[in-house]
Amino acid sequence: MIDLFNLLIILIGSSMLYVSFTYRLEEYIKTLSIQGFLFFLIILLDFDKIEILNFIFLIIETLIFKTIIIPVFLSKILRKNHINREIEPYIPNYYSVIIATLVLAFGFFISYWSNDEFQNIRPLFFGISISIIINSFIIIITRKKIITHVIGYMFLENGIFLLSLSIAAEMPIIVNLGMLLDIFVGIFLLGIFVNKISSTFEELNIDKLTTLKD
Amino acid sequence: MIIAILFIFPILSSAFLFFFKNKQLNVVLTAIYSLIYLSIVMFLVFKPQQFTEFLKVDSLNVIFLLILAILQFGISIYNIDFLTHSQVSIRDHTLYSIFYQFFVMAMTGIILSTHFGLLWVFIEATTLITLYLINFNKTKESLEASWKYIFICSIGISLAFVGIIFLSIGNFNINSLFFEDIYKNYKNINPFWLKLSFLFILIGFGTKMGLAPVHSWLPDAHSEAPSPISAMLSGALLNGSFLGILRIFKVMRLCNLDVFAKILLLIMGFLSLLVAASFIVKITNYKRMLAYSSIENMGIIAIGIGLGGVGLYASFLHLISHSLTKASFFLTAGNVLHTFHTKETNKITGILKTDRYTGFLWIFSFFAIIGLPPFPIFISEFLILKEMIFTKNIILFIIFVILLTIIIFGLGKSVLKMVFGEKNEHIEKYKNSFWVYLPQTLFLIILVIIGLYIPNFLHKMIENAVNSL
Repeated sequence: MIDLFNLLIILIGSSMLYVSFTYRLEEYIKTLSIQGFLFFLIILLDFDKIEILNFIFLIIETLIFKTIIIPVFLSKILRKNHINREIEPYIPNYYSVIIATLVLAFGFFISYWSNDEFQNIRPLFFGISISIIINSFIIIITRKKIITHVIGYMFLENGIFLLSLSIAAEMPIIVNLGMLLDIFVGIFLLGIFVNKISSTFEELNIDKLTTLKD
Repeated sequence: MIIAILFIFPILSSAFLFFFKNKQLNVVLTAIYSLIYLSIVMFLVFKPQQFTEFLKVDSLNVIFLLILAILQFGISIYNIDFLTHSQVSIRDHTLYSIFYQFFVMAMTGIILSTHFGLLWVFIEATTLITLYLINFNKTKESLEASWKYIFICSIGISLAFVGIIFLSIGNFNINSLFFEDIYKNYKNINPFWLKLSFLFILIGFGTKMGLAPVHSWLPDAHSEAPSPISAMLSGALLNGSFLGILRIFKVMRLCNLDVFAKILLLIMGFLSLLVAASFIVKITNYKRMLAYSSIENMGIIAIGIGLGGVGLYASFLHLISHSLTKASFFLTAGNVLHTFHTKETNKITGILKTDRYTGFLWIFSFFAIIGLPPFPIFISEFLILKEMIFTKNIILFIIFVILLTIIIFGLGKSVLKMVFGEKNEHIEKYKNSFWVYLPQTLFLIILVIIGLYIPNFLHKMIENAVNSL
C-alpha cells in the first residue's frame, strides 16, 4: 500500500520534468490532466482516513475539475485564440531540464530530512510538493506566453493541493472550499482574461504588457 | 441577528437591482445600504457582540470596522453623482453598484472572521470582486492593470495559503485554525513551523497590502480603477490584509518570536518607503503618485508595528488617518480627472482658478497626507520617530526622516504645481455637483478633530487594540 502511494507521488513529481523539456503547449495541458487523475487515485487510496463529506468533495475536485474541466477549458482557449503551439521560453530547455531535476532532487532531500525531524507530516508528500511549487514558479518566470503563466499557476495549485494532503491530520472543509475558489480564479477568470487580452493586444506575450510603467 | 443584515442586504438588493436595472434605484439602494451599515457599526462599536462562531467583533477588529463604515458611507455619497454625467450604459451602472455592495460585504467578512481559513477565503473573494471594478473602464490600460492585479494577487494569496498549511502542521496538537484556539494553546505550537508560516503569510497578505518587494500590482490597479474604487482599495482593502498579518503577528508575539517578526516587518516597511521615495519624485501621473503614497503609508504602518512600544499606538492612529486622508485625496483626484480629462500632471495647472473648491480639497488633502499639524498623521509619525529615539535606533531615524522628506518633496512638487498657476485656456470654468465635495469635506473635518483632540472613545479603542495584540 505504502509503495503504491510512493509510486504515485513520484510520478506526479517527475511529470514536472516532462513539462520542463517539452516544447508543445498541448503536452502541458495533458500533464495537468494526468496529475489530476493521479491525485484522484491518491484520494481513493486514502479513503479510510477521510470523512465522507470531505471525501466526496475531494473526489469532485480532483476527478471533475482537475482531470476534466480545466484541461478541456484550457484547450478551448488555445483553439479559440489561435495560439502558436510553441512554448517560447526565455532560457533554452536544456537548462530548464537541469534546473527541474535539481529542484526534484532537492524535494527528495527535504523528504529525507523531514522524515527524521517531524512526526505529523508525510515526508514524501511534503518534499515533492515543495519541489512542484518551486518548479511551477520557475515555469511562470521563464516562459513568455500569458497562457503558460496560467498553466504554471495551475501547477502551483496542484503543488499546494499535495502540500495540504501531506498533513497527517485532516484539513477542515472550509480550507477545501478555499482551494476550489482558487481553482475557480485560476481557470475561469484567468481564462476569460486571456480571451480579452488576445482580442485587445495583438500577441499573447507578456512583452506586450508594458503600457503601464514608471 | 444584526450581522445577518450586513450580509443578506447586499445579496437581496443585488438580485433586486439586477432584475430592475434602473439608475436611480442603483444609487438609492447603495446609499441605503451604506446608511444601514454605518448605523449598525455605530451600534456595534459601543456594544460589541458575537454573532456566530465564525464572525465576531473583538477589540482588534472594531477599529477596522469603524474605518470601513465611515469610508464606505462617504464613498456612497460620492457615488450618487459619480456615474451620472459619464456615458455609462445602464448595465455597467447596475453591475458597478452590485459589485460595490459585494465589495463592502467581503471586506466585512475579512474584518469579522475568527478563523484563518475563512479570513483567507474572504481575502480571495475581494480579489475576485474588485477585478470587475478595476477593469470598469475596459480600456487597454485597465485590462493590463487588472491582469497584473489578479495574477500577482492570486500568487500572493496562494503563498498565504501555504503559510496557513504550515501553521496547521505546526499546531498539530490543537488541530484548529480559530484564532482563539491558537491563542489559548500557543505553547503547543512548534516554533519552526510558526516562523515559516509567518514568513509565507507576511509575503502573501503583504502582496495584497502593498508592501514593498511584492507591491508591483498596486500603482497600476489604483491608477486605472475609477476614483471611488481607488479610494476603497487604498482606504479599506489594504487595511484588511494588514489585519490578516496582525492576526498571525499576535501568535508570534505569544510564542516569543516577535523579534523575528518585527525585523521582517521593519525590512518590508523601509523597503516600501524606499520604493515610494524613488518613484514618487519623477512620476508624471497623479493617480499613480497617490498609489505610491499608499505604499509609503503602508510601510510606515509596518514600521510602527515593527518598532513596538508606542509604535503600536502610532500604527493604529496612522491606519485610521491614512484611510480617511487617502480616500479624500483619491476622491478629489476623481474631481480633477473629471474636470481636466487627463491623468498627466504636466497638463494640469490652476485647479484653484478652474474649480475653486476642488483646489482647496486637493491642497488640504496634501497637507493631511504629508502630516502637517493639526492633521493626525503628524502625531503618528512623530510618535514613531519618538519611539525610534527611545529605542536608540538613530540610523533608522535618519533613514526614515530622509526618505519621508524626499516623498514630501515629490508629492509637493506635483500637487502645488497643479493647484496654482494660470488656468488652462481650453478648459472651461467648471462647477461639479454638491455630492462630489461633501465626502472629502467630511473626512477632512473628522481628521482635524482627531488631530486636535482624540475623542476618549477612540483613544480607548486604540489602546484596547494595542493591548489585545
